[in-house]
Amino acid sequence: MSAQTDLPTADPDAARAAMEHCYEQGWSDGLPLVPATRPLVDEFLATVDRRPDEVIGALEHLDRSVTVEVAAINAAMAGCRPEYFPVVLAAWEAVQRDRSAKGGGWQSTSGPSPLLVVNGPVRTELGFNSTGGVFGPGFRPNMTIARSIGLIVRNALGVVPHGFEQATQGLPGRWQVCIAENEEESPWEPLSVEGGVPAGTSAVSAMLTRTVEYVDNRHTADPEQLLADFADTLSRTGALIFRNAPAGIVFCPEHAQMLAGAGMSKADVRAWLVERCGRSKADLARVGKDGVGDNGVRFAEGTPSDAVDPLFAADGPEVLPIAVAGARNAGISMVVRVFAGWSASSVPVEGRTTPSAPSPSDPAQRSAS
Amino acid sequence: MYDSVIDPTLGPAGDARGRTALAPRPGDLSGLRLGLLANTKRNAEEFVEEVAGLLESQHGVQKVLIRKKPSIVEPAPPEMLEELRAECDVVVVGVGDCGSCSASAVADGLQLEEAGIPAVVIVSDAFRVSADAMATLQGTEGYQYVTTPHPVANLSRQGVRDRATAAVPEIVALLRGPNVAPAS
Repeated sequence: MSAQTDLPTADPDAARAAMEHCYEQGWSDGLPLVPATRPLVDEFLATVDRRPDEVIGALEHLDRSVTVEVAAINAAMAGCRPEYFPVVLAAWEAVQRDRSAKGGGWQSTSGPSPLLVVNGPVRTELGFNSTGGVFGPGFRPNMTIARSIGLIVRNALGVVPHGFEQATQGLPGRWQVCIAENEEESPWEPLSVEGGVPAGTSAVSAMLTRTVEYVDNRHTADPEQLLADFADTLSRTGALIFRNAPAGIVFCPEHAQMLAGAGMSKADVRAWLVERCGRSKADLARVGKDGVGDNGVRFAEGTPSDAVDPLFAADGPEVLPIAVAGARNAGISMVVRVFAGWSASSVPVEGRTTPSAPSPSDPAQRSAS
Repeated sequence: MYDSVIDPTLGPAGDARGRTALAPRPGDLSGLRLGLLANTKRNAEEFVEEVAGLLESQHGVQKVLIRKKPSIVEPAPPEMLEELRAECDVVVVGVGDCGSCSASAVADGLQLEEAGIPAVVIVSDAFRVSADAMATLQGTEGYQYVTTPHPVANLSRQGVRDRATAAVPEIVALLRGPNVAPAS
């Protein structure tokens, strides 16, 4: 802890007062912010070859937009290190490729949250967690990069809870879920490869989600029994609003390896689930969701039958993205409730993702030495 | 003391366009051409149709067109606005019954007023906050609209009719006047 003696200018009372100032301005998501100063923001901007005034997102109906510089300010405030910024920009672009993020998603009563998935060497360069406890917390890049997206929506787009943000309940972990894929223990190609980025290239994939829910199956060695357990959770009626619903799975290594060991590729797993997920009209009638209107929204038609409404509208990664993350210590995976679907388009990380040369004005550099 | 801390917002929203003045009010609705602007939310079209029926039978308006917006988020596109402007004397907009469409319904009301068409926006009372936020964003804080109790989406046709009946007196009052914007 000798580093503490290296911080003569970090007056704790002044730091606290600056954090309180940020709260008073209405900039915070509820947790303390790092006050963004010009030198700090410039360190962020120095990691990328982008014009600070480049517009990287907008909600025209709210007359608001996001620039590279405003993204850097919010990333700094979220607690990112400067070298995370190329990942923040890739994550933001990946989120923009979700059609609901450019529509009314952030204002929606469903209160969706992005799921960010990081692939490639940047995972180890920046120290992302891809294994135990991957849904967090505990790891700075995972937490602060996800938080950056939330602060950009809040501060740059002006979508604030109890204002334009009309989430009925929201969801646990909103603006907090950024996982790195456990490529080392995955038997399958990385998610970013399905998103069109070559293997070995750092990339971020993103989709808006409504929650995640676990499938705990340490009970069977039969891959079809295992997949049937997933099909049950995937097919629950409470998640259905429209004719069909997208969903994702973040498999733990144990489940993924069991399926791969039975000879199943990711596409095989997807095909098995697409064929079997869905509910009978009788089940749907029981919960008032058996009818489908012209606009695709379900309603209580009251015509039960044995006919099955399939869950998925298609059979590709757009409606059922699959990734692998977590520890290889139990058969516990996560079903992801995808809001509108995955763009199936991953974004390469472009910029400097290593720390800049140590400088006397950078206390973190000194404390690391 | 905090001048060195950078503002993470792009500056205050709103007021760029200034306050939207309401279109001149007709006083009497009899014989006027009524347009309806609905969104895609369940019961939205039914609601404004029921309102139209009551305005026809009780106040002598003539419903001339109904348009459904392609987006629940965006205000009506220019060509739809132009159509309403060209063919209608007054317009009823509804129903703002979700997070984004409540705000965009108010945006529609304001763009109709700006085009010179007296309009009334119907919003579910659960979404006052986002409706008001849009009015403020567009520089027209205090913009008046008509609320109906939440929820709307699960009402039967009779339930919609009852709600429309309850809303009509206020709709008529806002369409007729007064011809002044509320004080900000």
